[in-house]
Amino acid sequence: MFRKVLVANRGEIAVRVIRALREMGIGSVAVYSDADRTALHVRLADEAVRLGPAPSSESYLRIDGILEAARAHGANAIHPGYGFLSENADFAAACDEAGITFIGPSAESIRRMGSKTEARRTALAAGAPVTPGIDHAITLAEARQFALEHSYPILLKAVAGGGGKGMRRVDTAHDLDSAFRDASSEAERAFRNPDLYVEKLIERPRHIEIQLIGDRHGNMIHLGERECSIQRRHQKVMEECPSPLVAGHPEMRREMGEAAIRAARSAGYYNAGTVEFLVDQQRRFYFLEMNTRLQVEHPVTELVTGLDLVKLQIQVAAGQPLPYTQENIDWRGAAIECRIYAEDPANNFLPSPGKLTRLSRPLGPGIRLDGAVYAGSTVPIDYDPLLAKLAVWAPTREEAADRMVRALREYDVGGIRTNIMFFRGILEDPEFREARLHTGFIEEFFQRYRPEAPSADVWEAAALAAALHTLSRAPAAAQSNDARKNAWLETGRNSLLR
Amino acid sequence: MKLVIQINGAARELEILEPGPNCRYRFAQAAERTANVELPEPGAYSILTNGRVYEARVEETPAGLVVLVDGHRFEIDVQDPRRWRSKAAGGGGEGVAAVRAPMPGKVVRVLVAAGDSVAAGQGLVVVEAMKMQNEMKAPRAGRIIKIAVEAGSAVSAGEVLATIE
Repeated sequence: MFRKVLVANRGEIAVRVIRALREMGIGSVAVYSDADRTALHVRLADEAVRLGPAPSSESYLRIDGILEAARAHGANAIHPGYGFLSENADFAAACDEAGITFIGPSAESIRRMGSKTEARRTALAAGAPVTPGIDHAITLAEARQFALEHSYPILLKAVAGGGGKGMRRVDTAHDLDSAFRDASSEAERAFRNPDLYVEKLIERPRHIEIQLIGDRHGNMIHLGERECSIQRRHQKVMEECPSPLVAGHPEMRREMGEAAIRAARSAGYYNAGTVEFLVDQQRRFYFLEMNTRLQVEHPVTELVTGLDLVKLQIQVAAGQPLPYTQENIDWRGAAIECRIYAEDPANNFLPSPGKLTRLSRPLGPGIRLDGAVYAGSTVPIDYDPLLAKLAVWAPTREEAADRMVRALREYDVGGIRTNIMFFRGILEDPEFREARLHTGFIEEFFQRYRPEAPSADVWEAAALAAALHTLSRAPAAAQSNDARKNAWLETGRNSLLR
Repeated sequence: MKLVIQINGAARELEILEPGPNCRYRFAQAAERTANVELPEPGAYSILTNGRVYEARVEETPAGLVVLVDGHRFEIDVQDPRRWRSKAAGGGGEGVAAVRAPMPGKVVRVLVAAGDSVAAGQGLVVVEAMKMQNEMKAPRAGRIIKIAVEAGSAVSAGEVLATIE
């Protein structure tokens, strides 16, 4: 087993990995940018190394700096988390050359599955269903021809893509030229690669993905599916396990699991990975892409299977065989996760960085909170504004949803805006409760969502609190004698000054 | 003590007859009420009234108080008519309006120039923060009298980006 592991990431995932390392008795080395000296992952680690200024390109994306830090601190392995360098084949290869274990798949697997078109070809060759499409970089003329053969709507996607960048839905021939141009230039900006490919668009699909874990001895199992259909701008914001659709059709888990394992095996895959599928209205599933890393939403799988994916990643990276076979894996109850972001749902989800003046976390039965903030910490403007992942477990989906509403009520973050109330709206939405999910769910939700107006009592409580607060904060000289004599105001003022 | 409370734009009179913990108060034209009010944590007011429990989280911002009760958000300005603590009410349809950066970030593009006529909702300046580009839009129709930033400028929250007449 490793003696010491460097965590090449920040935020909640760095904290998540450091926690696993501590439980395993393995030393941890954090890395940080100038924006993160006081971040929780640095405070929790055994050792820490400054990488550089705040911009990722000068800190968390610096392969040389990270390898240098690993060498200087004697780390024998690197956990990349998600994002940043986690799906960078050059980084995985550089770790190998430096004699440091990359906790993830091989550079070759990352390369093969990282190219969307090559991943599609690999999946197809392995017998996994894919949507009709052209699996290589295309010209505008080829896109037009494809649309003639398969009819609109079609989907243009970036060959090097991810996260919805360089992606365009095209509904008519009239829109194709401009959509092609826009998608290509967006892909060029985001990935320095303007190449596009094309797929037939599946209407109102669900996004359901399969979690895989494999060792370096050829063993691979799946840990079931996650439903990630609740997305905004192609970014998942809420995930659950099991998928309510699959829960009603258990054969889907086996079929999708086996298809995912076949595709991953044919790419020589090991460690944790996720195969994403789109599922159409007839419950047919199509390979979408493979994520060659730990997913943000892994906690819902952990809650339902009882396994620790990060520990498994570390064990198999150290060369140990998987301690489980497929028959050992069991799914119990239901888990839901909400990604709590520093953003303002009332203002088009504008990022809301800044200092957290207050923080009360939800507690009690069935709650899991993976976060990286504390009262007084600052959400920097330089990175993804994820504050925490709030996950709940309960015996049934209905109870998990009720529990999540309860947890969100207890969650109070001051000083910045968050999407906490937005999730309460979704969780109380009848369509969500009836599990009529698809990737356009949020757009439609906004059409029907009418936030409840505050009751007169709530309104008056707010007014009263504001009035008393203002009186207690008035300058001492201006205060009336009545107020001065009042013990409560003194106490209030003192506690505010603490 | 009589106060005028502006809540989300609407004004209401509130008289505090006795402050906490056993608070007596009266809203304009309404009967006197009582509430037991405690401050268990900084900024968190626990209010017991009519047998019910309310938790109000109060936050001070440059624009006034923000109060959260049961997930509902109130922007509140408390004015003491005897001591004039009011702020000018903004956001009307006439006069000069400033478009401000809602968060710290960097200006990536300026879409209009001084002298341009703009429609309500038209994009004026694109600001990037946390890798997301956000278009700052005209709050109403008018003419741009000043663009205060240029592409590449770093801006802080509340900084004026453009003014419209």
